[in-house]
Amino acid sequence: MTSVRAAHLARMAWHEAFTLPLVLLSAALLGGLRIDIRGGLAFVPPPLMALVLAMVLLAALYRSGALDPARLIHPARTGLANASGAVIIVSLGAAAAQTIAALTPEAGVLALVFDVAWLVLFANTIAARPDRARLLSSLLVILGAAFMVKFVVLGALYAPDGSLTKRVVMALVEGVSLGTLAYQPAGPATGYVAFATGLLFLAGIAALPHGAEPTPASTGALVRVVPGEIVVPDPPVE
Amino acid sequence: MSAASTVDRAWHSPALIRSAGLLVTAAYATFIVWAYVAQPRTLREVRGGVAASIGAYRIDPVAFDEGLRFFRADRFAESRRAFERADQAQRDARTQYYIAYAFLREGWGRVYADDALYRQAQVSLQRALAASPDGVVRVDDPDLTLKTSDEMAEALARGLRRDASDLNPLSMLEKRP
Repeated sequence: MTSVRAAHLARMAWHEAFTLPLVLLSAALLGGLRIDIRGGLAFVPPPLMALVLAMVLLAALYRSGALDPARLIHPARTGLANASGAVIIVSLGAAAAQTIAALTPEAGVLALVFDVAWLVLFANTIAARPDRARLLSSLLVILGAAFMVKFVVLGALYAPDGSLTKRVVMALVEGVSLGTLAYQPAGPATGYVAFATGLLFLAGIAALPHGAEPTPASTGALVRVVPGEIVVPDPPVE
Repeated sequence: MSAASTVDRAWHSPALIRSAGLLVTAAYATFIVWAYVAQPRTLREVRGGVAASIGAYRIDPVAFDEGLRFFRADRFAESRRAFERADQAQRDARTQYYIAYAFLREGWGRVYADDALYRQAQVSLQRALAASPDGVVRVDDPDLTLKTSDEMAEALARGLRRDASDLNPLSMLEKRP
């Protein structure tokens, strides 16, 4: 095995063993973190609906090719490599559930509205079968929109003080009454944590191994060994 | 071949990298599960919890001694402040036991028990039990009448109970716990 190939395998191992699990687990940790106005912490486990939505989102990732389970768990891989792959898939599920939970109101009619919207959007994504790049763009928009609605619009509307944002939003929706829609805004720090959670989750998805398995030729190796013969690839075209 | 190059080569071994990654990931996942189960309310409690889990948590002995002095002088509010300063992460069973005891003594009256203070004592006792590795707290202090968490839990439950024994005039002769 050439040193280039060895270095490539080591890089892949680092990526699968450290980078991806740590990024996704960080999203799972931060997604449940709520910080109240006085700085008190609370770690909120994901509601059942967030778990269901996370599974639907994983299905959408699989359909688009952003998540390729065969690149993580496969009989041709070693036991340790499969264990790393399993950890990544479990971490991805946890991160998805907690990211969705972080961007959804905790309870009430607004939580129901958000849950239905998530479900429709994810189902629509599965039906549309976008490729990986389009799915990532779509997820960025969906998560960004949910963040804006929960932490900017609702946060301003229900803020106890009359901030500038609240006055602007109230002016835009003039004549609309909030009626009996109950919503408990999170502390301002929770918004920053949710923002970081969304970014970590998206980064984790973007960094998932995808596409065809790299061949020795693509990693710069001069000789590729196959059972029974030695194949010397053609020199790369400049 | 030098030792440094041997170590460098070892860190290019995918098997070694993956094993180390699994260990680090397992430790991180354990911390996450702990955070969701233990529900630390401040960063101080997070730090204390992590330190306690590896046996590195220590209370402030000066603040503890100060709390003990206040406690023995029946200055319970002051003693609680000092004990809380000593055990900022609320991870030391003995300190939490003394805080519970301070609530108990302050709430104890010859003819009545202050329910609010007794409930706070129960909360502190729960924290003491949670911090104790064997689920029971024993404090060998000659100044204390109740030397174990079991005795204190029963005294608190008795104080909060409403029944006919509350009308027994002989209960006025009971010794302060």
